[in-house]
Amino acid sequence: MILKINNAKKRYPAFELDCSMEVHPGEIVGLIGKNGAGKSTTFSLTLGLDRLDGGEIELFGKPIQELDDQIKQKLGVVLSDSTFNGNLTIQSIQNILKAMYTKFQPRFFEEKVKAFELPRKQAIRTFSTGMKAKLNILIALSHQAEFLILDEPTSGLDAIAREEILDMLRSYMEEDPDRSILISSHISSDLETLCDQVFLIDQGKMIFHSDMDTILSKYGILKVSPSQFETMDKSYLVKVKDETFGKVCLVNEKQYYLENEPELVVENANLDTLFTMYVQGESK
Amino acid sequence: MQIIIHTTSYVPIYEQIVDQIKAGIREGSFQENEHLPSVRSLAKELKISALTVKKAYDALEEEGLIQTVHGKGSYIKQFNKALLLEEQQKEIEQDLEKLLLKAKQYHLERKQVVNMFDLMLEEIYDSED
Repeated sequence: MILKINNAKKRYPAFELDCSMEVHPGEIVGLIGKNGAGKSTTFSLTLGLDRLDGGEIELFGKPIQELDDQIKQKLGVVLSDSTFNGNLTIQSIQNILKAMYTKFQPRFFEEKVKAFELPRKQAIRTFSTGMKAKLNILIALSHQAEFLILDEPTSGLDAIAREEILDMLRSYMEEDPDRSILISSHISSDLETLCDQVFLIDQGKMIFHSDMDTILSKYGILKVSPSQFETMDKSYLVKVKDETFGKVCLVNEKQYYLENEPELVVENANLDTLFTMYVQGESK
Repeated sequence: MQIIIHTTSYVPIYEQIVDQIKAGIREGSFQENEHLPSVRSLAKELKISALTVKKAYDALEEEGLIQTVHGKGSYIKQFNKALLLEEQQKEIEQDLEKLLLKAKQYHLERKQVVNMFDLMLEEIYDSED
């Protein structure tokens, strides 16, 4: 297993983090949740940047307290605050990376810098949001890392830039089937076209976990009137939310309703609707 | 690979992949022993989860249409032409059954159905383009 988080606990004045999750070789795992729900804390703890108050975290089979350089070489990281000093240029960053990483790939790095049209001799604090984001991903992908840990890597980017980055991630996984990615994002459509597994975190706890295929193929959203809600079959009902027209229901077997209750409005579920229903909906 | 996914369809994506590969095999767009793209490659191409692709490949393997060799990937198995034809026939039979059940539901008379069928046969089978 690449990453194992077992009841990791961290206490804050506002809430307590208590979560578990796993990343296996070859998997792309997505993490979604509100701002302040614990996504970034989970990342900090995983990278040993913050200390656990309880529970265990293992990276590449080693407890996080024993995180050493050998393991760090295998990690490619993008965190929300830029990692390099704003006065540095891409030129200097390349030299730093070459010194830091035994498996740094200078040709790949230079090719992508050119492809992204990033200026080599300009201080990175002058870069736009998009340029910074592309550079950060590039840095994470340039040393043959086995595990990418990405905290909202496409934040603030337009659809075209996002797709460029997602495609880089897909190519990265294609090159080596044992690589893995843990990625958090608010842009559900990005995750839907990328992830194999999804974890939903809310107020420090994992409240939902499923594979993407099940979410897209089995889960569904029903929009029903109050009278329809009375009579409908509730066996597959997971969450309910009141709306002006009646109720919105999250079900985990939309096929049943498509076949047996065709008069009901059935829609495909997606990560956004799933997320909203789990956080704001009530259990049946 | 020529696979087009309808992302907002009610039909699960893995099923769409299975159906299209099957159709491709029937229509002869695949060669026997042709290598299929790796799970990650197809996932990249279609912009979907690798698990979905794996599900499709597993389903195809269960039906005996492809073979997956660990470490080498998946490839189209040698066709059993008779099996394919049998499958096609089964498909037509199922559609016919659905059709006739509907006609019965609408209280169409047997004679009416036969007439409609004959007219269609003439139009589709007997006329030369």
